Amino acid sequence: MADVLMRTEGLNKSFGAVSIAEDISFDIIEGEVVGIIGPNGAGKTTLFGLLAGTVALDSGSIAFAGRDVTKLPTHDRARLGIARTYQIPRPFTHMTVRENLQVAALFAGQLEQAECDEWVDQVLEFTGLKKEHAMLAGRLPLLGRKRHELARALATRPSLLLIDEVAAGLTDAEVDDFIDLIGRIKRAGITVIWIEHVMKTMLRATDRLMALSGGQIIAQGPPDHVIKTPEVQRVYLGA
Amino acid sequence: MSDLPFEEAVYWTLIDLANAFLTGTFIGGYYAILSMGLALSFGVMRLVNLAHGEFLIVGAYLSAVILQILPIPPFFVLIVVVPIMFGIGYALQRFLLNHVSVQAMERRGMSANFGLMAPILVTFGLGIFISHLLFAIFATDAMSIKNSLAFSAIRLSMDLSISTLRFIFFLVAIAMLILLQVFLRYSATGRAIRAASDNPTYAALMGIRTDHIFAIALGISLAISGVAGFMIGMTRTFQPFDGPQFILVAFGVVIIGGMNSITGSLVGGILLGIVQVLAGTYFGPSAQLVGGYMLVLAVLAFFREGLFSR
Repeated sequence: MADVLMRTEGLNKSFGAVSIAEDISFDIIEGEVVGIIGPNGAGKTTLFGLLAGTVALDSGSIAFAGRDVTKLPTHDRARLGIARTYQIPRPFTHMTVRENLQVAALFAGQLEQAECDEWVDQVLEFTGLKKEHAMLAGRLPLLGRKRHELARALATRPSLLLIDEVAAGLTDAEVDDFIDLIGRIKRAGITVIWIEHVMKTMLRATDRLMALSGGQIIAQGPPDHVIKTPEVQRVYLGA
Repeated sequence: MSDLPFEEAVYWTLIDLANAFLTGTFIGGYYAILSMGLALSFGVMRLVNLAHGEFLIVGAYLSAVILQILPIPPFFVLIVVVPIMFGIGYALQRFLLNHVSVQAMERRGMSANFGLMAPILVTFGLGIFISHLLFAIFATDAMSIKNSLAFSAIRLSMDLSISTLRFIFFLVAIAMLILLQVFLRYSATGRAIRAASDNPTYAALMGIRTDHIFAIALGISLAISGVAGFMIGMTRTFQPFDGPQFILVAFGVVIIGGMNSITGSLVGGILLGIVQVLAGTYFGPSAQLVGGYMLVLAVLAFFREGLFSR
């Protein structure tokens, strides 16, 4: 029986009358890649906000690595090993790629300056950003920004990485590169939760899928099984 | 001028010009220190600190009072004033301004406009509170820091000289500027300040405690204002309600230099200084302020973001 890395129980969140998360409970097992699918407005990104602490919960609890983190602010969760990326990458534009990663490694990663440089080099190498390390992050082209968004999250030395849509707007070959990168992230021992609309990524790269709709989990399990369930067919694929 | 022989007229024209540029430049150092704190708190927290002028006056009173109690050489008072002002700034941001910041308002679901207004109103009220508190303690008697340098000048030629104090302040401004830039660029805390100013949410995701980092930033802002207040006390008299005239200078400087650029405050200070002295030289003392504000207006009209904004 593998270890549970994260356990959520009864997560609720609404903005006014609109419920974005309704009684969401799930376990994330150490080392797995979990895909999250669902139509726009299903509450996928808000769920990430709740897990990372950037959005305040109405009720429910989140345990991470055996600790109750429900009340912890974002920066403490980051230090414990929860990292997230956004669909629209936002690097610290006036800092170089290296400085962006250094900040992540020094604070969330809690490395000393001496170890930090070596670690940042490793992450740059791992994500293929070595050549751009001295560039102002604001000058990176879109693909570079997406890599950078992942690289900066990895530099925090996470044990759980929340990835919000990287594949949108990329060519097939570029998407394959990201599938490969996330495979390597998994092999490095990092647990991943990945939101994506591009179905190919979800079927090829995840161990398990969760389908969200209207703030609720409507199906979960092996990917090819989940997309065949009637609820998902109806809600998500419009069939 | 018409009565003078030609050579002499040319000489005096050149001396006037040289004097304007020299004096203006060195006043620029003084202006830069008056403004640097304002540029820093705006650049990092998007905080328009309307109590900035009052904090300069607090720095002036603090310096003067400590020097009355402790008979030490004037410049040494900064060793005490700077940490005290840092502490005031840290506490103020941590326990008051963080709760009414743009980010805090957004977290509570207030509109962005209100988010911008709230801290402005709070600092406006704070400014009034501070000046009246100073009034309650010191009344309106004009104060100053007695020192031997106030009337001393460095003579460059028979007809050209610069005030020793202004010269020292200019060097202090450059030193502070370099120190601040090196701190922001290379220290871990400096990098955290830059990251938090760029995007507080992302900074938090990188493990940065933004409440603490913003408090440090306002601490530094007020520490600089402490130095500025000391300078005010060294060069002139001041009283509790003098804050507004200094915040006007500071706003002028940061508008010219760029609202979030610390380097811009030195260049902005120098430009404002030169234009003021030139206007004063050719159109009389009353033209000084008008000339300065015309420069501010011109920059606003043609370089919306200031000359050195990022």
